[in-house]
Amino acid sequence: MSYEVTIEPMGVTIEVDEEQTILDAALRQGIYLPHACGHGLCGTCKVDILEGDVEIGEEASSFALMDFERDEGKCLTCCSKPESDMVIEADVEEEEDALYLPVQDYTGKVVRLEKLTPRILAVVLEVGGDGVEFQSGQYANLNIPGVESPRPFSMADSPGNRNLLEFDVALIEGGEGTTWIHEQLKVGDELSFTAPYGNFFLRKSSPEPMIFFGGGSGLSSPRSMVKDLLESGDEREIILFHGARNRKELFYCDEFESLEEKYPNFKYIPALSGPDVEADWTGGKGFVHEVALDYMNGKFDGYKVYMCGPPPMIDACINACMKGRLFERDMYMEKFLTAADAEGEAKRSPLFKSI
Amino acid sequence: MAVKKRLNMRKRYELLTRGLAWEPSYQPREKVFPYEDFEGIKITDWDKWEDPFRLTADSYWKYQAEKDKKLYAVMDSFAQNDGFLNVSDASYINALKIFIQGVSPLEYQAHRGFAHLARQFAGEGAQIACQMQSIDELRHIQTQIHTISNYNKYFTGMHDPFHMHDRVWYLSVPKSFMDDARTAGPFEFITSISFSFEYLLTNLLFVPFMSGAAHNGDMSTVTFGFSAQSDESRHMTLGLGIIKFLLEQHEDNVPIVQKWMDKHFWRSYRLLGIVSAMQDYMLTESPLSWKEGWKIYFEDNAGALFNDLSRYGIKMPKFHEVATAEADHLSHQVYSVFYAFSHAAGFQTTVPSAKKMDWLSEKYPDTFDKYYRPRWEMWAEMEKEGKRFFNGGLPLDCQVCQIPMVFTDVVNGNPMKPTHRVSEYKGDKYHTCSDGCRDIFENEPEKYVQALVPPQQIFQGNCGGETIPDVLNWYHFAADDGGEYHGSTDEKNWKKWHGEQSDSGSQEKA
Repeated sequence: MSYEVTIEPMGVTIEVDEEQTILDAALRQGIYLPHACGHGLCGTCKVDILEGDVEIGEEASSFALMDFERDEGKCLTCCSKPESDMVIEADVEEEEDALYLPVQDYTGKVVRLEKLTPRILAVVLEVGGDGVEFQSGQYANLNIPGVESPRPFSMADSPGNRNLLEFDVALIEGGEGTTWIHEQLKVGDELSFTAPYGNFFLRKSSPEPMIFFGGGSGLSSPRSMVKDLLESGDEREIILFHGARNRKELFYCDEFESLEEKYPNFKYIPALSGPDVEADWTGGKGFVHEVALDYMNGKFDGYKVYMCGPPPMIDACINACMKGRLFERDMYMEKFLTAADAEGEAKRSPLFKSI
Repeated sequence: MAVKKRLNMRKRYELLTRGLAWEPSYQPREKVFPYEDFEGIKITDWDKWEDPFRLTADSYWKYQAEKDKKLYAVMDSFAQNDGFLNVSDASYINALKIFIQGVSPLEYQAHRGFAHLARQFAGEGAQIACQMQSIDELRHIQTQIHTISNYNKYFTGMHDPFHMHDRVWYLSVPKSFMDDARTAGPFEFITSISFSFEYLLTNLLFVPFMSGAAHNGDMSTVTFGFSAQSDESRHMTLGLGIIKFLLEQHEDNVPIVQKWMDKHFWRSYRLLGIVSAMQDYMLTESPLSWKEGWKIYFEDNAGALFNDLSRYGIKMPKFHEVATAEADHLSHQVYSVFYAFSHAAGFQTTVPSAKKMDWLSEKYPDTFDKYYRPRWEMWAEMEKEGKRFFNGGLPLDCQVCQIPMVFTDVVNGNPMKPTHRVSEYKGDKYHTCSDGCRDIFENEPEKYVQALVPPQQIFQGNCGGETIPDVLNWYHFAADDGGEYHGSTDEKNWKKWHGEQSDSGSQEKA
């Protein structure tokens, strides 16, 4: 049995098992909530309960959560378990640019399948009616026949066209969902999905110029975001770094090159990391963060950075940005985790909120 | 869909707290905040300060008053019901003596230190955070005095803790730690206290004392512990917040902060050596061994933190591997000093009981039976023969941590070989207990040559006289404050009270 807990002011909703603390569920679902001691003594994780019922937990110290606070409807997320669906308000940033679009169920029909690279397949779904409203950078959960839990894929094209959604799906070795998509899915098939999800979206109201990092099929979100910005006439400096192994794995080159010609504020820098880089390649060589550090002369401060890709690439990009004096408050990221990655996550400290 | 529009917590807080400072016009800014750049720290923009917590002054007072109300209710009922009779054993009270003599005065110094910072930091967010912590620390010392004063009516050694703190040889360990931080610049002070001590190592202090109190029936101490710990969220987030702020403000701050982390990690760790002895030997019932605590709170938690900090170019504090290797030996070595010198201490010691020794064997399977049990058995034998061992001389103390030279080369697999180090400075020799303390000495020799090291002071005639009774008198120790626990006033009283209590108990029933 599980409950839905909505966290204000972000407006995100998480699933909390009845035997699970709200904090544990939030952290596991990628939502940062303030916390420190983890066992009811310090009170860092205190939140307001706006709706619903909670079991406060015996561990909650009567000093960390005092009687009058219990009466006022507060609880400590590190030891509270929901007893109904809930709405809580936590002491976290409100995102000015978040649209808080409601998640809905959709069904789409496959209208196009295109091999972008030997291991990445573009799947285009047509959705009728008003289509799907989403913010560029967000993702959908696709229900794959015969696969138990839905699989997340980012919308890979600009949100301008709500009726055609593109997903660029990389084949993961031994991955049930991606193998089915690559081997079984056919034009004309129907797929059901829910969307939009995720806190990876453009902070358009911030005035800074922007840098995007896309690694492998992690190009999808940055592509959607860059096209969204350029199509809306944004004139800020926009730099896109795309990392791939070799020329064959690089996709949408032509599209970005023509965007570069059309929009003088946009710069596209592909980077190939090998080991099998083609001899005639004259572009950036090395990992995407190395090429970026070089291109930026080691300085990232003054930008907003968006990164999307597999965990080691995100990790390297964060370190590169921090080396270039750009910190947490100016970086946004979407990690492409496979089921295997998610299990191996290292223990984290409360030092960072969103990294 | 209805769109709710109410201010979020951050906006509400900003409206209440921002714009309270002003640009000075009568005096240049650097004269108003003279300490801000003298450590080499570069602050380019105080506005980048992110409030580590959001608490307004009015709700601060409301919360703290509520906490005190609760705590004093527990203390009153403890006193009215003779709660002191319900602790596990009178020997447990020795842990409280070390707390009130050694730790509580640090709370007061922390109060003074944060008040200084609240004045000297130029950013208003940082000023407010430090001001609240300053008041917290004052509340902590006050509630500790009130809690422990109840025990002072019945047990020895707790009658003049502040006087003792400034003079006594083993209390110079915590005192010199805090003096070191208090005489540093503001950013080093906050790195030392908020980060190295409060964030990194506070659980290693808190868990032994407070859960130790709970395991030994001391609900009064447990309650002040919980009350103080509920303020710790602010202190810990301030510790992390300041470190992030310094590291992000300027790249030149990174090596300075690393050096402070190295130094104050080691200083804090050495200070906690006293806690390790208390935790493993002085609690009648020990909830957790020092080694277990070190694994959870340092190796795992601090390991995760430093893993995250590595993104800023920060490394694990220097000599952390020594501290981890020493976890198997630390408490045994430090308590042996207490045992041998307790005739000159404000608490009593004794050979661990057979049950305690078995617990130590279980918790320290690689070291206790091999290195430490034989010595305890020898000392037990000596006591039985009426020759209870006391070391009649004065120890050689480390010039930095001020602990006698008791540590050995555990990290290199030589636990029988002392790590006594000697440095020369301006023609004089200075002694340190380890590579960690020698490093600290040699980085700032001009500071540490000024340290008042108690045995030297005694020899120089600055401590009340030439004989041990003269010195103890100068410490304000009473004749029965220290020595062997068996046969002490505390033990005699404890037996008497419990004898009487069980007699009167049976009379009531009759």
